[in-house]
Amino acid sequence: MSFFPSLGIGGWLAIVAMFLTPASQAPRPMSFSATLTSIKVNARPGQVVTRQFQLTLDAGQPRTHFKARVEDWWRSQDGLQSHYAAAGTLQHSCATWTSLNPVESAVNAEEALTVRITVNVPRELAPGGYWCALTVDQLPDPAAAEAGVGVHFVASVSTGIFIYVDPVERQAAITGLRVDQERAIVTVRNRGNAPLGVEGRMQFLRPGSDAVVATIEIPRGTLLTEPIVDGDFAASLPPAGTLPSGRYLVRVVLDIGAAQDIGAEQEILVSRTAPDGPVR
Amino acid sequence: MLRAVVKASGRIVLPVFLVLLGANRAAAQATVSLPDTSQTTLLTATVSEQARIIVPASIAFAVTNVGNSTAAAPATVTVDRIVLATATKQVKISVQAAAASFTPPAVGATTWAAADVTWNVSSWTRATGVSGALSAVSFQQIATCDANAADCSTSDLTFTLGAKPTVSRAGAHTLVVTWKVESIGS
Repeated sequence: MSFFPSLGIGGWLAIVAMFLTPASQAPRPMSFSATLTSIKVNARPGQVVTRQFQLTLDAGQPRTHFKARVEDWWRSQDGLQSHYAAAGTLQHSCATWTSLNPVESAVNAEEALTVRITVNVPRELAPGGYWCALTVDQLPDPAAAEAGVGVHFVASVSTGIFIYVDPVERQAAITGLRVDQERAIVTVRNRGNAPLGVEGRMQFLRPGSDAVVATIEIPRGTLLTEPIVDGDFAASLPPAGTLPSGRYLVRVVLDIGAAQDIGAEQEILVSRTAPDGPVR
Repeated sequence: MLRAVVKASGRIVLPVFLVLLGANRAAAQATVSLPDTSQTTLLTATVSEQARIIVPASIAFAVTNVGNSTAAAPATVTVDRIVLATATKQVKISVQAAAASFTPPAVGATTWAAADVTWNVSSWTRATGVSGALSAVSFQQIATCDANAADCSTSDLTFTLGAKPTVSRAGAHTLVVTWKVESIGS
């Protein structure tokens, strides 16, 4: 009796192919570490600011080409879309006076790509805030093209560059407060001359009472001065057990980096759709 | 910025060292004070904001019926080792197509638009995911890691290619899409 089952030639070829073929046909995921530090400088006209960006490929990654550039950047009011445009698109762009070295480089696994960033603040510059984004793009590998219908991904990392020239006016107004499904959203308008870092908290009180039913933190976001001066800053509602449906006095206090916080309050009907939250 | 202060202390280190030499020598031990025990050495580690990003290199749509939508295998996306300047900053993950439409296997052949690719909300760990459709104009958000999260991930992000009955050419229809990892904040 034969030890091996009778598979026929096709069966044996399939087994041989199984051992010769990698376990997964899917390409190895892209894996790297990068610094994400935004450059924030209170600068004088004529000042030169230098910083570094670093990206390190993880072990086992193929040699990869990267290209760095400085570009303009802004977000939609709801923060769900990020727009990148050529340097100088925005009036308050710092991209035209920021340079990088190197601009293009190839990196091997476990090697680091270091990009030196030099910001030459012009001598003639109106007071206020200027910003741009450092973007480091992975360049597509032409050899990675595959048969069939598919999407080939490349990776990109962007960090912010913010230059402030005195006198900086940090001013904003809360223009809206609402609860949308399972999120609380506060709308803020930038009325100053510089980008603002906005963060804070929202309290829910029973009308006519000082007792706070729930407090939620509003994560830090950025509010620019152009092309969109309004921004929505949202946070998930706490579980319905903590904040059940009902009418609340909603009080919001925001830190915009100015000497004083800004605040607003409004009575809002909260209708919970999920019995237990929070819902993403 | 992480700061650690190390203070030299001869009072503690020296007796312990002598005890380790052997009990029969303990009689010889003596407490010796350093001339100035107030000397300090400041060790400073400057930690940059950083993260590690793991994203798929590609996804494939096995289109067997152009009249139906086709889902790709679920993709895994991970952002870990997140270090940010404040507990309220967040890392955003978004995507943008490099072109308004796929590149068909033959010039001029009908193919899919970038906007025909959509994705689900997916179940994220320590992140808020949003569904959306590809755009060649702007980066569309896929997820935002929670504030103060050291990592965030999903293993069931599913991209779907919409039905396109007018596609008549088999072969490679391909599109380059950029994963964007942002931590831009003033």
